Amino acid sequence: MKKASKVFTVLMFAFLFAPIAILLLFSFNEARSLSVFSGFSLKWYRELFRDTETLKTVRNTLVLAVCAAGISTVMGTAAAVGIHRMRNKYLRSALDMVTNIPMIDPDIITGISMMLMFVFVSRLLGLANSLSFATLLIAHITFCLPYVILQVLPKLRQMDASLPEAAMDLGCTPWGAFWKVELPELMPAIVTGMIMAFTLSLDDFVISYFTTGTGFQTLPIRIYNMTKKTVTPDMYALATLIFFVILALLLLSNLTDREDSQRIRAARKARRAAKGRPPMSPRRQRALYTAGGALVLAALTASLIFAVTETDDKPQVLNVYNWGEYISDGSEGTMDVVAEFERWYQRQYGRPVQVNYTTFASNEDMYAKLSSGAVSYDVIIPSDYMIARMISEDMLLPLDLANIPNAQYISEDFQGLYYDPEGVYSVPYAYGIVGIIYNANVVDPADAGTWDLLWNEKYAGQILQFNNSRDAFGTAMYRAGLDVNTTDRAVWDDALDSLMEQRGVVRSYVMDEVYNMMEAGEAAVAPYYAGDYFTMLDAQAPTVDLRFYYPDPTNFYIDAMCIPACCQNKTLAETFINFMLSAGPAIANAEYTYYASPNTLVYEDPDYIDEMGPEAMEILYPGWDDFARQYNAYAYRNLDAETLDYINTLWETLKIN
Amino acid sequence: MAKKIIELKNITKSFDGQVVLDDICLDIYDNEFLTLLGPSGCGKTTLLRLIGGFETPDAGDILFLGQRINDLPPHKRNVNTVFQRYALFPHLSVFENVAFALRERKAPREEIEARVEEMLSMVALTGFENRSVTRLSGGQQQRVAIARALVGRPRVLLLDEPLAALDLKLRKDMQQELKKIQKATGVTFVFVTHDQEEALSMSDTIVVISEGRIQQIGASTDVYNEPKNAFVADFIGESNIVDGVMLADRSVSFSGHTFDCVDGGFERNEPVDVVVRPEDVDIVPEDKGMLRGVVTSVTFMGVHYEVIVDIGGFKWMIQTTDFVDVDERIGLYIEPDAIHIMKKSEYSGLYGDYASFSNEFDELSDAESEAEE
Repeated sequence: MKKASKVFTVLMFAFLFAPIAILLLFSFNEARSLSVFSGFSLKWYRELFRDTETLKTVRNTLVLAVCAAGISTVMGTAAAVGIHRMRNKYLRSALDMVTNIPMIDPDIITGISMMLMFVFVSRLLGLANSLSFATLLIAHITFCLPYVILQVLPKLRQMDASLPEAAMDLGCTPWGAFWKVELPELMPAIVTGMIMAFTLSLDDFVISYFTTGTGFQTLPIRIYNMTKKTVTPDMYALATLIFFVILALLLLSNLTDREDSQRIRAARKARRAAKGRPPMSPRRQRALYTAGGALVLAALTASLIFAVTETDDKPQVLNVYNWGEYISDGSEGTMDVVAEFERWYQRQYGRPVQVNYTTFASNEDMYAKLSSGAVSYDVIIPSDYMIARMISEDMLLPLDLANIPNAQYISEDFQGLYYDPEGVYSVPYAYGIVGIIYNANVVDPADAGTWDLLWNEKYAGQILQFNNSRDAFGTAMYRAGLDVNTTDRAVWDDALDSLMEQRGVVRSYVMDEVYNMMEAGEAAVAPYYAGDYFTMLDAQAPTVDLRFYYPDPTNFYIDAMCIPACCQNKTLAETFINFMLSAGPAIANAEYTYYASPNTLVYEDPDYIDEMGPEAMEILYPGWDDFARQYNAYAYRNLDAETLDYINTLWETLKIN
Repeated sequence: MAKKIIELKNITKSFDGQVVLDDICLDIYDNEFLTLLGPSGCGKTTLLRLIGGFETPDAGDILFLGQRINDLPPHKRNVNTVFQRYALFPHLSVFENVAFALRERKAPREEIEARVEEMLSMVALTGFENRSVTRLSGGQQQRVAIARALVGRPRVLLLDEPLAALDLKLRKDMQQELKKIQKATGVTFVFVTHDQEEALSMSDTIVVISEGRIQQIGASTDVYNEPKNAFVADFIGESNIVDGVMLADRSVSFSGHTFDCVDGGFERNEPVDVVVRPEDVDIVPEDKGMLRGVVTSVTFMGVHYEVIVDIGGFKWMIQTTDFVDVDERIGLYIEPDAIHIMKKSEYSGLYGDYASFSNEFDELSDAESEAEE
C-alpha cells in the first residue's frame, strides 16, 4: 500500500511536470523541429531577445500585470476593510457574495460583457476608439479584485477586532492604527493577493482578447495568433523563462506565509542580537517599508507613464492588423519591417510615426473584432473570401492608388480576381497554393503527381488529411473534378463518399501537427501549402527526404492589404501599404514567410532568386498560364450559411463514423 | 475624601433599539480599585468601552477631572485598556509592544528603553524583550498587556475581564499581582468581571450591575453583608432569601417564626426580603431549633458540607462543618445579626430558593455564560 502510494506520487509528479520538462528541453534544441533534438544551443534564447515584436508584447504584458496587480491590491484591500467594517450583516454578506461572482463567472462572459460595456460607454461619450490600454487595464483590475478581497477578508476576520482599538488606546489615530497595526497584520494576505493578481493578469487570454484595443497586444494573444504557422521555438524559450519567473514568485509568496516569515524575522533578530545590535526599531522598520513601498510605487508610475506615452501621446499612430508571424520581424537576422517603416517615415517626412502592430489567428476572429466596432485599424491583411464579404458589407475603403505607386509592380496575373475584380479595395500581399508533400524514401515517385496519392492503399496508415472540412472536402472535389463552390448538396454528398472511402488509408486528420509528423517521418504523405513545405524541409530528420508537387487542379488563396472603413488616417495607411510593396520590405517578408509574392520586385530580384534557390523558385512560382482564370475557377469562395452548415454536418458524419 | 477622576452622569446607551445601559451614574475616585461586577450581557463591558472612548453615550455625560469627554477619541484620553484577549500586536516583539505608546508620543530613545525595562521588571518579564509575543504563555501575554497599558502612566487603567482566559491557579496569582501593581503605581483600576469571588478579593469598591442598571455601589464587605436587593444578595455569595414581614424595628417574622434582628426603619407589617447567608446558620437538635426541617441533600465541599434543608416547602442552604445525614430531621438556629432585611424589589421572589439547586447545574450555566461572551 505504502509502495503503491509512493509510485502514485511519482506518477502524479511526472504527469504534472513532463510537459514543462519537454518544453524546457526543446527550448535548448539546436533545430527547429520537435521531433529531433539535434544538439544543445542557446539559439532560441538569442532569437527571443532579438524579436522586438515579441519583446514588446512581453513588456506590454508585464506593464499591464504590474499596473493591474498594484491597483487591484490597493482597491481590493480597501474594499475588504470596508466590507469588514460594515455593521449591516445582510448588506455585508450580500457584498461578500457579489464580489465572488466575477470569480465564478466564465472568462468568456466577463470578456464579452466588459467589451459591450466599453463600446456602449464610449459610444455614449462619442469616442472613436472604445477599446484601449485603459479598457484592458480596467478589465484586468476587475477580474483581479475578487482574488485580492478573497485573500484579505478572511485575514481581517481572523484578526482580533480589538487590535486597532488597542492601538488607538495607546495613542494612535484611527489611520495610524490601520497603518501600524492592521496593515502589518494583513501584509502576508495582501502580498499573496497581489502575487495572485499578478499571475492571473499575466496569463489571461480570454478577457484580454475581448477588451484590448488597437495596438496593445499581450503575450498570450500574440502566441495564440501564431497558429497560422507553427509556434516558433523562441516561444519555448520564453515559456521556460516565464515558468521560472512564476516559480520564483510562488516561492516568494510561500515565504511571506506568516509562520515562515516569523521564523525568518526571529532568526534575523537573533542574528542582530548576537552581533550586539539592538532590535530594529519600528521607525527603522517603517523606513524600510516606506522605501520598499516607494520603490514599488515608482515602478508602477514609471510603467504607467511609459504605457501612456507609448499608446497615446504620439501624434501619428498607425494601427496594423495582420496574421501572426506574417511579417518579417527582425528575428534570425531578418529585417524588422515595422521598425524600418518608422525610421523611413521619420527620414522621409521629418515626423515620427508609431506603428501598433497586432495580430489575429483567423479571418473570422479579425472580422468579429472589426464588426464589433470596438476597435479601429488602418491596415488589415485578410484573405480573399473575407475581402469579398467585407466589400459587400461596406467595411473596406477604396484605395487611392495615387498614394500607392508601388502597386504597379504587382504582377498582371493578379488582375480581375473575383473578390475585387477592379482591384479597387485591395493590393495582394502573398498567395499560396495547396500541393502534396511526400517522403521520397517511402513513396515511389512514380505514384506521385495527382490527388490519387492521398487515396493510394500502398501507403495506408501513412497518409495525413486536413482536419478542417473545407480543405478536406476540397481534396476530394479537385480529384473528382467537382466545383468546390457549389451549393448542390448532391455534389457534396459525392465528395463525402470519396472521403469515406479514403478514411481507411488515413493515419490522422491534422492541422499544425503536420509539421512534426512529416519532419520526423511518422507520416509519408500530406496535402499542405507550398510555403509550409519549406519550413518542413528545413527541419526534416536525416532519414526523411521530403518532396513536393502540385496536383491539378488545386486550391489557391490570396491575402491582400486593405484599408477598413474605421481607418483613422487613410493617407498614412496608403503610405504604409506602398512601403510594404517596395523592394526591401517586400523581399524581406517573402523570405521570412516563405509564401509566394505577387510582387515583381520580389520574384524577379536576382538576390531573392539566389537566396531561395532554384527548387524553391520552381515550386513557389511554377509559371501559371492565365493565373486569374485558374484562381477564379478553383479558389474557395464564401458559401452561404446553409451550405456551410450542410458541409459541417457531412464532416461530422465522417469524423464520428 | 479622595479626588474624583471620572464621573458618569445619567449615561444611557442602546444598540439596535435595545437598551444596554440605563441612566448610569457613577463616580470613580483617584487611586481606587473599582470593579464592575455583573452577569454577562449586563452592560459592564459597554460601560468600560464608554470610558475608553470606543463608544459614545446616547445621553448623559462622561467627565474626566471635571472635563466633558463624551466625544474625545480614545487616543486623546489619558486612559489605557487591558483587553480581554490582550490584543497584543503579533508583528512586534515584547519590547516593541510595551514601547508602542511611548513611540507614539515620540519619546526619546533613552526614556523609552528605561521605561520599558521598568515596566517589564514590574511584571517580571525582564529578559523577554526580543521574544515574539505569539510565543508567550497566556499569563506572560497578560503581563505584557498590563505593562503596555501602564507604560504611558495613565490616570486610569481599564481592565476588561483580563483574567478570564487563565486557569484557576494562575488567575489567583494574577489577582494578587494586579492588586500589588495597583498599590505600587497608584493608578486607578476599573476592573470588569463576572466572577464575584474575584471582585470581593480585589476591589476597594464594587459596582454591581444588572440589566444595564447599577444595583449597588459599595465596599466588598458592604456589598456582601448588606446587599440592597435580592439580585445582589444572590449574585454575591450564596443566600437564602425568604419572604418576611417586619413586625417592628428589630423584629421580623418569616417561615412561621418571629426573629430578633438588627435592622429597623421599616413600616409596621411591611413585607420584606430576608437574607440569611448559609454559613450563618447553626444546626442544632430538632427540639432546640427556631426552624425545623428535613435534610434533603448533603454535598462535601472540602472545607465544609453544603446541606439542603426543606423547611415547610422552602429549600435552605446551610454550610456547616458538622456532618448530618440525609432525611435527618434537624433544627436551625439563627443569630440576630445574621439576619439582613431588604426592601422588596423587582428581583424579589426570583432568587434565594435552593429547590432546583445542584452543583452540576450551576457549573453548566457558568460555562454557558462564559461561552456567550
